[in-house]
Amino acid sequence: MAAAFGGVAWGIFGGALPGISPSITMALLLPLTFGLEATTAIVMLASTYVGAEYGGSIPGILIRTPGTNAAAATVVDGYALKEQGKAGEALGISLYSGFVGGLFGLTVLYLLTEPLSTVALAFTPAAYFALGMLGLSVIASLSRESLVRGLLAGVIGLMISTIGTDPVTGLNRFTFDSPELLSGIPPILVMVGVYAIAELMAQAGETGWQHAPRERARIRFPRPAVWKRIARPQAIGSVIGTFEGMMPGGGGAISSFIAYDQARRFSRHKEEFGKGSVEGIAAPEAANNTVACTALVPLLSLGIPSSNSAAVLLGGFLMHGLVPGPMLLVENGEVVNGLYLGLLAANIAMVVVGYLVMTPCLWLVGQPRPYLTAFIFALVVSGVYAVETSLFHVGVALVFGAVGYAMRYFKVPVLPMVLGVVLGFMVESNYRRALVLSDGDHMTFIQDRVSAGLLLVAVLFVIGSLLRHVRDRRTRHAGR
Amino acid sequence: MNRDLWLGVIGLVLAGAYYLMAADVPESLLSDAVGPAGLPKIYAYVLAGLSLVLAGRGFAPRLADRPPRAESRGKGPPYVRREIARAAGLLALGAVYLAVVEFVGYVVAVALLIAATVWYQGGVFRPRILLVAACGAALFWLMFVRLLGVQHPPGIWESLL
Repeated sequence: MAAAFGGVAWGIFGGALPGISPSITMALLLPLTFGLEATTAIVMLASTYVGAEYGGSIPGILIRTPGTNAAAATVVDGYALKEQGKAGEALGISLYSGFVGGLFGLTVLYLLTEPLSTVALAFTPAAYFALGMLGLSVIASLSRESLVRGLLAGVIGLMISTIGTDPVTGLNRFTFDSPELLSGIPPILVMVGVYAIAELMAQAGETGWQHAPRERARIRFPRPAVWKRIARPQAIGSVIGTFEGMMPGGGGAISSFIAYDQARRFSRHKEEFGKGSVEGIAAPEAANNTVACTALVPLLSLGIPSSNSAAVLLGGFLMHGLVPGPMLLVENGEVVNGLYLGLLAANIAMVVVGYLVMTPCLWLVGQPRPYLTAFIFALVVSGVYAVETSLFHVGVALVFGAVGYAMRYFKVPVLPMVLGVVLGFMVESNYRRALVLSDGDHMTFIQDRVSAGLLLVAVLFVIGSLLRHVRDRRTRHAGR
Repeated sequence: MNRDLWLGVIGLVLAGAYYLMAADVPESLLSDAVGPAGLPKIYAYVLAGLSLVLAGRGFAPRLADRPPRAESRGKGPPYVRREIARAAGLLALGAVYLAVVEFVGYVVAVALLIAATVWYQGGVFRPRILLVAACGAALFWLMFVRLLGVQHPPGIWESLL
C-alpha cells in the first residue's frame, strides 16, 4: 500500500513536469527499488506509471502544457474549461475518469491477460503502419473548422517527423548537419512549443489581464448529472485504451486522440468539443489510464514491452531476477497477484493523492498573472532541457512557440500537427519495412488481416468525418 | 492579402523548400523501393496542393469553408502589431536565457528569467520581484537538479569555487 501511494505520488510529480515522461519518471525510480522486495518494487514502478499517466493532465488543464504526450488531447477542452473558471471541475472529471479507466484496465488485465496476449504476437510491420494510419485518420475529424487547414497542419507534422536519421537506410535527412537533429525532434518539444510557449506569447500580447479572476481553489468532483453525461465517453475511452494498450506501439497518445475523436462522434453535444466539453476530458483521460494497465498485458504474458514505460518496468522485473513471459504466471504467481492488488491500490491512491495535490495546484494558478507566466516560462525551459539535457532543444521549443503563435494567427488547428509529429515516424518506418519484407508489394497491407482490419476502420473514420464536413457546410450555408 | 492567401503562399514556399531538400537526400546502396526521400516528396506535393487550395480561396473567398459567424466573432488573440511585438518580446527573453545560461549558470539564469518576465509582463520593479525570482530559482534547482538529477549548466561558478 505504501509502495503504491509512494509510486503514485512520484508519478504524478514527474508526469506533471513538462519534459519528464512517464518512462523517465520510472527510470529515475528504478535504482531506488533495487533494495526492495520484488513485489514491492514492481508495484512501486507500476504505480509510478499510473500516477504519471494521470499527472500529465494537470499542467495540460491548468497551464495548457501537456506533461506527457498522452495528455495532449486533454488540453483542448481541459484548458478551455479552465478559461471559463471551471478548472476545479475539469480536474475533478480528469481524476474521476482516470480512476474509472484505471479500474477498467485492471479488470481487463486480471481477466484477459492470457487470451488477449495473442493480439501482440499478430503485429507485423504492415499492422503497425495500419495502426499509425488509424491514428492519423482522426485528423479529418479534428479539423472541423476548416478541413484544408487541418490537413495542412497534419502534413506539416508528418514533415517534422521526417527530420533525423532515416529509419531504413540510416541516411541523415533535413538535419542541416546538426548532430542534435540526428535523432529527430522529440514530440514533447513540439507540444510544449505550440501549446505552452504559444499561449504565454498570446497572453504577453494581451493587455489588462494582470488581474485575472480568482478561482475557487478547490477540486470539484462531477455532479450526478455530469456523471451520467461522461459515462459514455469513459466507456469509449476505456474500450479504446484496452486495445491500444495491448497493441505494441499503441500507447496512451494514440488511444487518447482516438478516444477524443470517437467521444465527439457519439456525443449529443458535439458543438461543445473544443470549447470546454466535459466529455472531451473524460474520454482521453479514461483511455490513457486504461492503457497504463492494459500495456502490461503483453509484458506479463509474453515478455514484450509495448511502450517505453513497459520497457522500464521490464527492467524492474529483470533486476529482481524475474523474467516476464508465459512462465512468470506459473513460477511467480504471487508477484503477479501482488501486482494486481498493487495496481488496485495505485488507482485508489491516485484519487487520494490527486485530490490532495489539486488544491495547491489550483492555488498556484490563481496567483497574479505576471508571476504565474514567469514561473510557467521557467518551468517550461527547465523541463524541455531535461528531455535530453540539451539547450538546443530549448531553442527548438522556442521556435515551435513562434510556430504555434503563427498558427493561432492563421487559425490553423494545432492538434493535427501534434498527431502528425507523434505518428509520423511510426507510419513511415513501418510502411517501408513492410514493403521491404513483401518485395515492394502493396497488397501486403490488405493480405495481413490485422492491417486490413485497422485500415478498414481508418477508411470508415475518414469517410464519416468527410460526410460530417459536407453536412456542416450545408448547414452553415443554409443558416446564412 | 487575406490570411488564406498568406497561408497559401507560406505553405507553397515551405513545400518548395522541403521538396528541394528532399531531392538533395543522397541515394544509398541500402535504399528500399520507397527510399529516404520517397515519403518526404509526397508530403511536399500534398502540402503544395493544400496550399494552392488555400491560396485559391484567398482569391475567391466564397469558396472558403469559413466558420459560422458567431464563432468567427468569438474571443481570440487580437493580434495587432503591438501585441505581436509584445509576444515576440517574451520569446526574446527566452532567447536571452539561452544565450547566457551556460555562462551565468542555471540558477542565476532562471532567476533572471523569472524577474525579467514578471517585469516585462507589467509588474512594477520592486525588491519583492528579486526575492520571488531567487526563491523560484532555488525551487527549480531543488526540483530538477537535486531531486531529478538533471545536470543543468553550472556556469562559471563551478570553476571559481
